[in-house]
Amino acid sequence: MRRNQAQAAVTGGVAVAWSVCALAGAPVPVLTVLGIALLGCPGFVWCEVLLGSGTGGLERGAVAAGLAFALPILGGLALQAAGVPLGRPGWAALLVIATLVGDVLLLVRREPPPAAPRGSRSGRPGMSPGHTVIFGIAAFIALGAVGIAWEGTRLQHTPGFTQLWLAPVRARPALANLGVSNHEGRATRYLLIVQRPGGRRSVWNLALADGQAWQRSITVKPGPPVSAFLYRLPDLTHPFRQVTDNVQAPAP
Amino acid sequence: MILARSPHSAPPSAHRRRHAHRRRAAPRSRLPVSVAVLIAATGVLVVACAYTASRLGYQASPWPDRAYWLGQVLIAGPIGLRLLSRRALTANGALTLVLAFAAAEYLVKVCYSPAALANPDELQHWRSTVNLLHSGKLSTVNNLLPISPHYPGLEEVTGALISVTGLPVPAAALIVAGAAHLLFVSLLYLIFRYLSRSGRVAAITVFIYATNPDFQYFDSMYAYQTLGIAFLGLAVLGAWKVSQAEWPAARASWLAIALIAIAGTAVTHHVSSYMLIGTLFLIAVGCLVTGDRTAAIWPAFLALLAAIVVSCWVRFAAPQTVSYLGPAAHGIVGGIQRLLGGAHPGAPSVSGGPAVNRAVAAAAVLATAVLLPIGWWHIWRRYRQAPWIVAMVLGSIGWYAIVAVRLTVTDGSELAGRASTFVFVPAAYVMALAIVQLITTVLRARPATAASLAIVAGLTLMFDGLANGWPPYWERLPGAHQVAGADLSAGPQDIAAAQWTLRLLGPGNRFAADLGSYTVLGSYGDQNPVRDVAYLYLSPSLNIPRIRAQYLSYILVDRRLSQSLPASGQYFPVDPGAGRYTRPLPLAYLTKFAQVPDVNRIYDGGDIVIYDLRGAGNAP
Repeated sequence: MRRNQAQAAVTGGVAVAWSVCALAGAPVPVLTVLGIALLGCPGFVWCEVLLGSGTGGLERGAVAAGLAFALPILGGLALQAAGVPLGRPGWAALLVIATLVGDVLLLVRREPPPAAPRGSRSGRPGMSPGHTVIFGIAAFIALGAVGIAWEGTRLQHTPGFTQLWLAPVRARPALANLGVSNHEGRATRYLLIVQRPGGRRSVWNLALADGQAWQRSITVKPGPPVSAFLYRLPDLTHPFRQVTDNVQAPAP
Repeated sequence: MILARSPHSAPPSAHRRRHAHRRRAAPRSRLPVSVAVLIAATGVLVVACAYTASRLGYQASPWPDRAYWLGQVLIAGPIGLRLLSRRALTANGALTLVLAFAAAEYLVKVCYSPAALANPDELQHWRSTVNLLHSGKLSTVNNLLPISPHYPGLEEVTGALISVTGLPVPAAALIVAGAAHLLFVSLLYLIFRYLSRSGRVAAITVFIYATNPDFQYFDSMYAYQTLGIAFLGLAVLGAWKVSQAEWPAARASWLAIALIAIAGTAVTHHVSSYMLIGTLFLIAVGCLVTGDRTAAIWPAFLALLAAIVVSCWVRFAAPQTVSYLGPAAHGIVGGIQRLLGGAHPGAPSVSGGPAVNRAVAAAAVLATAVLLPIGWWHIWRRYRQAPWIVAMVLGSIGWYAIVAVRLTVTDGSELAGRASTFVFVPAAYVMALAIVQLITTVLRARPATAASLAIVAGLTLMFDGLANGWPPYWERLPGAHQVAGADLSAGPQDIAAAQWTLRLLGPGNRFAADLGSYTVLGSYGDQNPVRDVAYLYLSPSLNIPRIRAQYLSYILVDRRLSQSLPASGQYFPVDPGAGRYTRPLPLAYLTKFAQVPDVNRIYDGGDIVIYDLRGAGNAP
């Protein structure tokens, strides 16, 4: 198999495999690996189409990466101009079509005789096994470092907090959204008291798990403010959180 | 051949023989490249441990900070030693060292915030990316960085990656930014390898370039410049290959690549696109200065094309660019005019920060100021007929200009830091030639002294870049929340409050907020925070006419402003007291809103309270 045939087979295979997996609803890890490869395929193929085989490895990689970045940018503008939404179908179509068109060009083109790039050596000495192992250990350590940093963010202690809100519902001025959200890092019990004009009170006993929210819409009228006081049990003497809503009378 | 008259352009066989002789003459190093890379990886691990210790409550201890610097020494030391010593080093070895160094420093950046985007600039682009993903359109509104949707390149690439992988935005952003950063470093290496015909000189150039204050963090973060400069590099490589191509087919291919890169730059980042025009123009000037008019044709043609593409983009797609960049350009021109007129410059004469940082900065400025003339002298002797190298000389003069901007322009440190991304490219090459010249010729009889001097100079420049770059010294280690800081001001409370505003109040409300909440509110909350709002927090009374004049709807009050001095020196985006605070804000100034009739307290998250100002002043 000639070099350009092999390249077309690999990139075309990635495009087809991604399409099949996406249609079949493959799990995210599979789509992630294939998707990253799919993003790179057009750059790789078009680099081959434009430069052929007479280019050095680093230069080929750099141009391929640049073209891979350029395709979504310039192709995205074209899709936008054509009125195609920039969602998964649009991007996927762009990348798959660009890859397959490049593959076709690669296959129909007569491959020129390989020309050694200026300054490059034809026979590259291979890396010794010892050095390969050392590079592998270095990569493992570097990835481990990122893992440690990631774990550090997970273990980092941040002060817990509770949110209380009483906000007017958009486009419905007679309603307000009353809510409590617990981010204390543990299950917490609250007492919520809403004080309405005329001394009317509504009371809720809430037990919220960490990350759990409670909310409901309440009716509010123009006039004296509505206040909500949230107590974190067992402390019933000091309001833990407090909000007010003073609905404006509509302009005459 | 552009380099036809250069002493470097001896026949290839002779060139190879000379280098082969040098290779034979140079002693083998006892530090293999693979071991240098392994030590650098260990340095990343040490920095990650320092970050983790700081996150787990040891921020006040001196050990995490010491461990951070030890890690940086492990990353930069062996690689710098291997590059700058006179020991034998193959082109592949030099390339490996440079890529390993760039990757290691990028991983240090990733370790700073591996799980989420936290930097204000990154959050701005996070907002644009989310808007693109939600709407499927490029022309969305980004209140925080209004110019961003008009330069959508970065968001398009990330949006495509997310769409075909299902990755979350932060993971996709780290992949795109990291790939773009490594691409830029590779392109720099390629360009300078072509210019110098030496992998080692190219690698030293990239190593010195990496000492610029923005390299480690700002130029590798999820921001449009990271991708813009990669396209700039590809366009310049294309210009080189076009001008060097011997066959029309090869020239046409590289011309196509250069045009794609020019278009990519124009769509991705404004300043990078202007710098691309300037770079190509400068190369054409370099050709003319050396008397090689033929060589000037292609760079001039590509500069003209770039100017047309960029002008069309600004005219038809991004007309806001003029008003966005105008004030900064005005500041530079005004500062220089004041300086030339003998008036007092508008900027403080010294940079802030600890004395050690200032001392390292001074040493780095001194080293650069000495190395550049040595490099010019060497170029004058050996390469004055090489157009691209002469263009590097012309460009490197810009380093003195950014020193002047730093000293004369208000906000000059920020502008100079941004400019260093571009000016350091030619300056690094000239300095690399100077260092190689010192090692191989001037101090040839004293190799140990030469190597030591080169390594000390290289590491001084490197540690200046790290100490005085980003993150600033007051946020070098991640950890607890900072009042009015940058990355560390985006804590869970701030993010939860911002997300609440989007969910309950809808997007685009005009908000008053302090500096720390400003970006979080504009990104996670998609609100429209107003910059000039310090008066609301710095007075015991409320200026209702001004609130109405600014059409403010809500104010976010962070009570922690009454507990700590601002980490950045200023509490607000526009702060009349910047750099002069000696005590935190009085709590009464922050709680006064609760006593104002018709100002509703609609959100209470503990430290963060949000008031609805829309009824302010309506009470009889």
